[in-house]
Amino acid sequence: MNSRDPRLKDPKFDAGLLVVGQDVPRTDALPKVTGAAQYVADLHMPGMLHAAVLRSPHPNARIVSIDTSAARAMPGVKAVITGEDTAKCKWGAFRPDLYPLAIGRVRYVGDEIAAVAATDAETARAAIDKIVVQYEVLPAVFTLDEAMAAGAPLVHDDAPGNIAHEFAFERGEVDAGFKASDVIVEGTWELIRQWHSSLETIGCVAHWSNNRVTMWCNTQTPFLARGRYAVALGVPEAQVRVIQTEVGGGFGGKSGDDNCSVIAALLARKAGRPVKLIHTREEEFLASHPRMPMRYWVRLGFAKSGKVLAKEIRMWADNGAYTGKSQAILGAATVRHDALYKYPNARAKSTLLYTNLVPTGAFRGFGNPSADWAVEQAWDLAAEKLGIDIVDLLRMNAVEEGDVSPHNHKVTSCELRQCIDKAAELIDWKNKQKNKKPDTGFGMGCSVHVNGRRSFGDWDGSSAIVRINEDGRATIITGEGEIGQGTLTVLRQIAAEELGLPYDDIDITRPDTDVHPHSLGALASRVTYVAGNAVKRAAAEAHKQLINAASEQFKKPVDELTIINGQIGPKNGAESDFKPVSAVVRANIYKRGGEAIVGVGNWDNPSEFPDHSRFGNESGAYNFAAQAIEVEVDRGTGQVKLKEIAAVVDCGTVIHPSAAQGQVEGAVTQGIGLAMTEYFDWHNGMPTDPQYIDYTLPSADFVPKIHVGFADSYEPSGPFGAKGLGEIGLDAVPAAIANAIADAVGVRIHELPITAEKIHRALHPELYADEKQTPPAAPKTSVWTRLATGTPSGTRPFKPEWLQPATVEEAVQRYAEGNTAILSGGMAHALRRERNGYPLAKRLLHVGRIPEMLKAGINSDGALHTGAAVKQQVLHEMAGLRERWTALAEAFDAAGHDRVRQMTTVGGSLGPLIGGFDMPVAMLAFDSTLTMVSASGRRTVSLAEAFEKRFTKDEMIVCVDIKAVPPRSGSAFHKFLPRGVMETPTVNAAACVTLDVKGACVAVRLVVGAVSWKPIVLQLKALHGTQFDEAAIRAAVQPVHGLAQPMVNVRGSAQYKRNMAVEIGARMVIAAWQRAKK
Amino acid sequence: MLIKFTLNGDPAEVHLKSADRLLVDVLREDLLLTGTKHGCGIGACGTCTVIIDGAPVSSCLQLAALCEGADIRTVEGLSEEGMLHPVQQAFINKSAMQCGICIPGHVMQCVSLIEKNPAPSDEEIRASADSVYCRCTGYVKIMDAYREAAALMKKAGKV
Repeated sequence: MNSRDPRLKDPKFDAGLLVVGQDVPRTDALPKVTGAAQYVADLHMPGMLHAAVLRSPHPNARIVSIDTSAARAMPGVKAVITGEDTAKCKWGAFRPDLYPLAIGRVRYVGDEIAAVAATDAETARAAIDKIVVQYEVLPAVFTLDEAMAAGAPLVHDDAPGNIAHEFAFERGEVDAGFKASDVIVEGTWELIRQWHSSLETIGCVAHWSNNRVTMWCNTQTPFLARGRYAVALGVPEAQVRVIQTEVGGGFGGKSGDDNCSVIAALLARKAGRPVKLIHTREEEFLASHPRMPMRYWVRLGFAKSGKVLAKEIRMWADNGAYTGKSQAILGAATVRHDALYKYPNARAKSTLLYTNLVPTGAFRGFGNPSADWAVEQAWDLAAEKLGIDIVDLLRMNAVEEGDVSPHNHKVTSCELRQCIDKAAELIDWKNKQKNKKPDTGFGMGCSVHVNGRRSFGDWDGSSAIVRINEDGRATIITGEGEIGQGTLTVLRQIAAEELGLPYDDIDITRPDTDVHPHSLGALASRVTYVAGNAVKRAAAEAHKQLINAASEQFKKPVDELTIINGQIGPKNGAESDFKPVSAVVRANIYKRGGEAIVGVGNWDNPSEFPDHSRFGNESGAYNFAAQAIEVEVDRGTGQVKLKEIAAVVDCGTVIHPSAAQGQVEGAVTQGIGLAMTEYFDWHNGMPTDPQYIDYTLPSADFVPKIHVGFADSYEPSGPFGAKGLGEIGLDAVPAAIANAIADAVGVRIHELPITAEKIHRALHPELYADEKQTPPAAPKTSVWTRLATGTPSGTRPFKPEWLQPATVEEAVQRYAEGNTAILSGGMAHALRRERNGYPLAKRLLHVGRIPEMLKAGINSDGALHTGAAVKQQVLHEMAGLRERWTALAEAFDAAGHDRVRQMTTVGGSLGPLIGGFDMPVAMLAFDSTLTMVSASGRRTVSLAEAFEKRFTKDEMIVCVDIKAVPPRSGSAFHKFLPRGVMETPTVNAAACVTLDVKGACVAVRLVVGAVSWKPIVLQLKALHGTQFDEAAIRAAVQPVHGLAQPMVNVRGSAQYKRNMAVEIGARMVIAAWQRAKK
Repeated sequence: MLIKFTLNGDPAEVHLKSADRLLVDVLREDLLLTGTKHGCGIGACGTCTVIIDGAPVSSCLQLAALCEGADIRTVEGLSEEGMLHPVQQAFINKSAMQCGICIPGHVMQCVSLIEKNPAPSDEEIRASADSVYCRCTGYVKIMDAYREAAALMKKAGKV
């Protein structure tokens, strides 16, 4: 119960809340833990076809011709469509500029050109590769500067200057405000694209019947999607029915801006059969609508006291090739922050620019993270300049209940100061600041969010029906929908509370546009606040009808009756005076002229439709949050360790505490991803590797301790005092992290992402003084390979043959026959097939069941023997291995996790002789010997020599032997991963040190991987005979710098990798030495 | 080619359309066991985790042909006679799901952890949960559920 609930002061209100505020079981929990929940990809229908899409490989091109004849002729292909098969209608939420399939022109890599439906997915993909398109490649614009340049190529001919949208305002006397200011700070900050990365990609199953299409979509917004899809299809809205399936994550990315669903419907119409189209993970990166990057210049003026006097911003945003919701996002990023602090004067100009990049769109936070990234850092700069602790400065200027922003945002409930105080308290900010440890820092950031926004016309309401059934249960009929945020649960709690029925007796429907009253769905943190109010009203109406019916049946006035826990009876009556709700409802129906109990509730957000300059009270209520963060920076690598985060949210009454905590914890984690882990390399307008290899999500180990708190707060217009909270936990996280880093080591980051390299460069400019620029090589992996070979979808023209020899000799014989790939764990083959689209060979030689190759153990002489087909997990668990070959055990630890170790084998990790794999790097630190076999017999070769001389074409590895480690030896391995375990290494290194009885060094072997095509192996002879001396070790390791020939990629520049090769190499020698001493 | 294996305790036989057909496709498309989800196709996200011979694997990288004779368990095989498996119950008790698409993967990962290590430390739980992405929860409630699962498994006499 919320102590600010005004009813507490009402003596008549004695029961308190029974369901609201309780952690009732989530409505969607059972089907989700059993696997029964039906996501769109899980749907199977009789006669259903599978679809694939041909996408543009060029960022800007004229389509000269498309020939689909070969695709259409393929057996199993049932429909092939291009732009000519569409109504040629442009569509989009605010600025219609997107065709369902390209008409004469493509504008980004990923733009949809043609699509195929076939009897299975492989055939559909193979057919895509048969479509021949001739392009006239045009110059493209990839950056804001290129888009703005005089004479720049135009992305759309009707958008001069590539301007998609622009607006400006001035509220108050901005120049006078700056003139009166004692302290002025300014700066420019930039954000990057962030993908929603829902683990379920966008998809649709569409089926036409009686000239109407039913679309089973994983959309967040069924009704809005229906309206837009109808435009895109060129049919009246009445011909489209959208049914929401289970939604596997939305975050704005499934809010009805995708061509995927439209294409599924077009194919289904042409084929006359149901069609399923699901984005691959790669397509999700190429063609969903990620967060919009912005360049954000801000200037703030303050009085000496710390009071803010003026704010000015100039902002440019990268729309990508099509608009979606980006102009609304631009608006939010420009005005919303002005409802956070008491700005008396504010001026802004914002411009949305087209580029030839993947179109951007709505993503949790909706522009606010961009504003917060810049403005919350500017506040931090101001705090430093003013000499006021940031916590005190933000507190002093925080908006309060009753304030009105310069844009007429009316702040009805606001506990921002409580949020700031609690967040600081939760990480013990004041005490820790006083006794600050070196390289540790603290940062804070705040944010404000709407609870629904009037965006799609002058209505931001919701409509709901609550039925009380003759079985005594109630059904909520709403089209708002669950996307994982807890809608179904929270709306059931609200109805149960209002009706006086047990939570378990309330059912709720899933959205279907044919059935439900009009609803806007999950966007703008609106569902609890707006739909919650509509459901509450509908429940109140049903409650009233039920009490009226009971009044007639009990022959008592309505104000003497009450409903408690599903029973109706007289207030203060005995238990035997009560009747079940079911009996009252049944008696009300089964009589002459009887009636069912059906309550209808409508509620419109008490907000204003903002004008062209965005003046107007966008939302009936605003929620607030503060985040406080503690970080520690490793000066040697620039790596940031997040120690603790506190996030405190003012969302009014908390309806479901654990779901609310979950929203904040998840939002904070996405904010961490935006700040630190989620980015790509780009080449010619597309990511070089659109997968979870380069782009990593924060995994469990990357996320620090998160303290979640809620302000004691009550919103008078909210259902039971509640406001929304879905988005706000994310917004200020990147800025708070940057502020903490500045506090720790004095480095201010202006451009996302925050990388270890950026911090290392700022801390050690001398290490970059001699840097030679190495241009990145053209990408060779995955989608690029497929594009280069003209098979963008990557299907194979053959099915491989499976060979399973029983002995090594048989295996050698089959291998020698040629066109054969060795396979043991099978992971490399599966990966290559999935990513590059072609298998290693036409014959797969499975050696994983040959007994000789599966032997592993520690021999009586203390040496390790392992067959090539032995799984890494077997060695990882082998008793005695860690004590003897510590570096090797640490390499297995670093492999990522047990699934990887379970699927990778010794031979598979060594066979390709790749310089960055962990296991070979660790093995090279010891005396490791390979036994090879070929048609001409067996031979042994040292692992180091194998890397030098490679293998002959017909050779395969049988086993590996590693000699016992001499006494007084120590070894260590480390994989340097700035972004967590899912990443491939920036540098990995292993060292083995042997000492004599006096502690003097006898031998040091250092191996550094991932910075050259083969691992660098050094015997550090300069250290022989010496005692431990860190400076001497660092000097001895220095040659690694010159030997490294790193590739430039998302994991760092060549110079950074050279520096890290030295740093991590030295650390490993130090660690191994210290172990040897023990 | 024909392969035989045990699936959720029952014998199963599947004709592979191709020798390198992936287990996730066999489960989802050939056997219509859609509880196992397909998240990335490169073994990074863990959404497709199933248990083979007691160990967790990424079914999107697992060649089905390698499963000859194997004991395969998926999320559909956990509950017995209508009773939820303790790990499933733990995820419900801790509200440890939002959109739910990663949950079958987390549940299977958690089952494999606790069957092997009945009393995992917080650090071991973190390392295990670390191998399956979740885009919604920030892992706090998921790691709570792993802890709760260990307790419920012990109580149920399953470990």
